[in-house]
Amino acid sequence: MIFCKRFLSVQQSCDRMKMINSNSRTGSISTADGSALVKLGNTTVICGIKAEFAAPPTDAPDKGYVVPNVDLPPLCSSRFRSGPPGEEAQVASQFIADVIENSQIIQKEDLCISPGKLAWVLYCDLICLDYDGNILDACTFALLAALKNVQLPEVTISEETALAEVNLKKKSFLNIRTHPVATSFAVFDDTLLIVDPTGEEEHLATGTLTVVMDEEGKLCCLHKPGGSGLTGAKLQDCMSRAVTRHKEVKKLMDEVVKSMKPK
Amino acid sequence: MPGDHRRIRGPEESQPPQLYAADEEEAPAARDPTRLRPVYARAGLLSQAKGSAYLEAGGTKVLCAVSGPRQAEGGERGGGPAGAGGEAPAALRGRLLCDFRRAPFAGRRRRAPPGGGEERELALALQEALEPAVRLGRYPRAQLEVSALLLEDGGSALAAALTAAALALADAGVEMYDLVVGCGLSRAPGPAPTWLLDPTRLEEERAAAGLTVALMPVLNQVAGLLGSGEGGPTESWAEAVRLGLEGCQRLYPVLQQCLVRAARRRDAAAPL
Repeated sequence: MIFCKRFLSVQQSCDRMKMINSNSRTGSISTADGSALVKLGNTTVICGIKAEFAAPPTDAPDKGYVVPNVDLPPLCSSRFRSGPPGEEAQVASQFIADVIENSQIIQKEDLCISPGKLAWVLYCDLICLDYDGNILDACTFALLAALKNVQLPEVTISEETALAEVNLKKKSFLNIRTHPVATSFAVFDDTLLIVDPTGEEEHLATGTLTVVMDEEGKLCCLHKPGGSGLTGAKLQDCMSRAVTRHKEVKKLMDEVVKSMKPK
Repeated sequence: MPGDHRRIRGPEESQPPQLYAADEEEAPAARDPTRLRPVYARAGLLSQAKGSAYLEAGGTKVLCAVSGPRQAEGGERGGGPAGAGGEAPAALRGRLLCDFRRAPFAGRRRRAPPGGGEERELALALQEALEPAVRLGRYPRAQLEVSALLLEDGGSALAAALTAAALALADAGVEMYDLVVGCGLSRAPGPAPTWLLDPTRLEEERAAAGLTVALMPVLNQVAGLLGSGEGGPTESWAEAVRLGLEGCQRLYPVLQQCLVRAARRRDAAAPL
């Protein structure tokens, strides 16, 4: 086991993160309603969002849907086979669904066009292009950046025909309420914790922990799938590190959003 | 999908807003039938794959990765007469497994992940076009896995995937006789149709017939040909193939430069 690690400094974790939000003329996915590409060290995740119409769920007629889907194709690493989503992809999809639900990143009521009749469905498809550890952080960033990028056309329900009329020329951004940021840690035997583990570090770790914070320092989600135990004090440490990380990531994201604004 | 418990459940049915939009789609603009869109190609960008390539031509974006060679799955196969140049006998030759995937957000309409028949057909087309170029005899009992991912479909997706796959194989250091370059064509409906080289998505959607040609430029041999659509006189199809082959030849220098740059980058990065 390679014991040459220590807590990665704040500077180092910042350097490993490069967010390329593609909305410029040269890079965006024009067929998607919103898209973002995030590179965390070598780990690369692309998120594409497509918005469609559907009838709202019967038990919540004033809500829309947000359907995340994480795909780990054989492209990103030789450990994945083609076919239906494996365990890791399912866990990641469920994690993203939990983050969306718990952090209330968008209110599902905002997605409703006409209660009981028509609502938006946002299909968020996250595809990992290069798997080098810490997939959950990268997916959360990509999702957030892509949601900030989504523009929905204006829809009115005409009174005579009761059908939707879509005006593709008038588009508006989504109302993003919170900005959840995930910070992952690799645990080694209860003594060592590493922020933002690479693939190799994850493979050697005895456990992992992911903390999702939003801007008010509120904990949205905690994901600890088994692995070696952690003391309460270590956990507190991780949460305060997550708060610092949130500030760095938010700053980066604001810069990127500002750079894409002028159209 | 209602029955798929491996993915997060969404609504049973959904429709794209374009169905309800009032404005008409614009018709594709008239253009020079032999124009090729400028291509951006980059090899060696994924850290986890043995070889990788990204190709962007107009609106079409394809990423391809190659992994292997690894031990072939499947039973023992007997020997036979050895091939020329010390290669393994035909029954022991390596295999090329291709996988073609379309991102759900790649087209105008979202396509739920299990792609279905079209992706398998394109994967098979990829395999048939790449096999003549790869020296599979040098990888006995091994398999090479090529996976192509279409991030955005802007027309001529299969052609772009072919080119990207060949670049990725070259980047992985797989022994090849030559690169494979793909070129798409389409013919608009009408009385006096001309074949258009490298169609955009709009042109492809309105096309009466489509064709994808794969050429090995240095050897000047056709590696693959896939066409479909309304019939026409044979001269028309022969003309289309000729146009496609010219297009492939024109694309070749760009790909050569891309591989040279990738090799230089790899050289600069490796300390030894």
